[in-house]
Amino acid sequence: MIRVTDLVKCHGPARILDGATLTAAPGQLTALVGPSGGGKSTLLRCVNGLEQFQSGTVEAFGHTLTGGQPPTQPALQKLRRAVGMVFQQFHLFPHLTALENVMSGPVHALGKPKAEAEQTAKRLLARVGLADKAGARPANLSGGQQQRVAIARALAVEPSAILFDEPTSALDPQMVGEVLAVMRDLAADGQTMIVVSHDVDFARSAAVVHKMVAGKVVQSGPPDAVL
Amino acid sequence: MVRATLPLCALLLLALPALAQEKKPPFRWGTDPTGGAPFIYQNADGQYVGFEVELAEYLAAKLGRESVMVDGTWANLPQQLNKAADVEKGVDVILNGYELRKDLVEQFGVSRAYYAYRVALVSRKDGGVSGWNDLSGKSVGALGGTVAHDYVRSHHPDADIQLSEDVANVFKLVNDKRMAATVQDSPAAVHFLKEYPDLTLAGEPVKAGYYVIYFRKADAELGAALDAAIADGLRDGTFRRIYDKYGLWNADQEELIGLLDKPWPPQLEGNKTPWPRLLGELLRAAWMTVKLSCASFPLAMLLGLAVAVGRVYGPRWVGVPCGVYVEVIRGTPLLLQLYALFYMLPVFVQTVSPDLAAWFTPFACGVLGLAINYSAYEAENYRAGLQAIPKGQTEAALALGMSKWTVIRRVVLPQAVRIVIPPVTNDFIALFKDTSVCSAILITELTRKYNELYNFNRDLIVELVVITAGLYLLMSYPLALVARWLEKRLSKS
Repeated sequence: MIRVTDLVKCHGPARILDGATLTAAPGQLTALVGPSGGGKSTLLRCVNGLEQFQSGTVEAFGHTLTGGQPPTQPALQKLRRAVGMVFQQFHLFPHLTALENVMSGPVHALGKPKAEAEQTAKRLLARVGLADKAGARPANLSGGQQQRVAIARALAVEPSAILFDEPTSALDPQMVGEVLAVMRDLAADGQTMIVVSHDVDFARSAAVVHKMVAGKVVQSGPPDAVL
Repeated sequence: MVRATLPLCALLLLALPALAQEKKPPFRWGTDPTGGAPFIYQNADGQYVGFEVELAEYLAAKLGRESVMVDGTWANLPQQLNKAADVEKGVDVILNGYELRKDLVEQFGVSRAYYAYRVALVSRKDGGVSGWNDLSGKSVGALGGTVAHDYVRSHHPDADIQLSEDVANVFKLVNDKRMAATVQDSPAAVHFLKEYPDLTLAGEPVKAGYYVIYFRKADAELGAALDAAIADGLRDGTFRRIYDKYGLWNADQEELIGLLDKPWPPQLEGNKTPWPRLLGELLRAAWMTVKLSCASFPLAMLLGLAVAVGRVYGPRWVGVPCGVYVEVIRGTPLLLQLYALFYMLPVFVQTVSPDLAAWFTPFACGVLGLAINYSAYEAENYRAGLQAIPKGQTEAALALGMSKWTVIRRVVLPQAVRIVIPPVTNDFIALFKDTSVCSAILITELTRKYNELYNFNRDLIVELVVITAGLYLLMSYPLALVARWLEKRLSKS
């Protein structure tokens, strides 16, 4: 369960988040929609601890972040192992192969042995349909392939939930489908996910949709009611 | 009109020779004032004094010219005779403890001897060197390119010769037990034995030769005038008066008067270094250059990396000192840093532990000095590299649950390294050549060796320059190739 309560995040005089509140139930796909500048991405980044906020709380699987109190490094690390993240710009590590990218979390964050991490990574690459690209560097992969590797990388640390920050916005239209297919597959498997998306079709497959405008969650409910 | 101007012209013509006579050019004499007492040094008032200063003033007066001191570096003083006298740093003569040597006599005009010197071995009264036969394996300081230097290397080849132009510092090192002994010309020995009561002559000083004045071969007239002035000065007691003031008059100088009636210069033996030995010595010195570079640069990289990481990721109390370190080290000359490490720091260390001071050998200080100096530049290279990695890389790694340090080590640094290879290679090649500055702290590396060999073989200047430059190129070019290969290999991935 991820519960965001009264989140306020200011950037100078601008209130990026203005008392945003929402919950995401485990095993469900939660979609976050709304116009640009509404604070969707910032909210996700706050949940992952990449941004600090002035007030409110974030509770995620037993870990709590409180506004105005800078979290400690170990607390942040624990939270992030529970809540993974996939970025709009993929951010694959360019000096590593696709396989090494996926292995990097288990090896360097969880301290798992390399052999075991490699097994996991190979399995996850196969799951996102890229078993044959294990040895390729990010520079030699298409945008859609890179994002699928990024999803496998996030999955590799076995998080309780994964946050998707506009995962298809940086992709050419013909590559959007392959990424969404992987995400639908994950959702079908009961992976807890919060997805910021402009793709109305995809949002329709969510269990709950939250609509954000001007830093507030203005509407929550099933897709038919919100969209 | 014509009547009025004619007498005027005649008057002018009559005045011309008188004007010319009054405008005798100054007597420009070349010297290296850093060579030190008692030859030429600064007194407490900042004026240059020394027996050679007085000698030059005496000679200038005899010639009816004004005495003008022109400073240069000792080893290159003869070169200054190859330029005209009235240009910047041009000289009429060189007068600075230059010995009567065959190679110089062949190239330049030479005066009669103004001083007969000996080569003296000086050590501590309580040291391990009490005579010429104790020098094996001992550190022996000498002024590079002098007869004294040549005497040690030919008579005591197993001594560890350390060359320095700074005679005063060499005596201090012996006094501080950081050097076993020094071989110097007798005037310097006489002077510094007065300054350091714990030092003594080790064994009898060896008769070595004469100090003479060199001038251009074309200036035979000047040469004759100098010879006449020297003969007068020796015979009428002027020289004795000057030398006595510095404690330098002795029986050897009496003999100079007798020599005045004999033909001059006497038959001289040359001591040319054979080519195989020249090359061998250059290669050995090049090896020292390699050792200095290869020992110091990895240290500089490590130190620089630590400083860069501290500056970019550390808290303020780490970042600010790191920034100050970079600016101070980058903003002061390497030479000064080496002096501080080798001459100044051990003085403080000695008060704490004399044993620890012994660690400050020339090589250790050279490696450390180069490493510290270059670490500042490397730190800036790395800082640029670290900051060039997009923020998203760090965020993605953090989002996986890696610790901050793991992110730096596993994600940011490996990418930054690729970016900084070209500037770091550049610095390594620069450091290769900067090792020559270490000659200031008694290390004989390639440039110093070149200088020394050229001093003894002045007819081989072109050959020596080409070979020395070639050796540097031979060492640095493979580095450039390795760097290019590394860059290519990493950019493929």
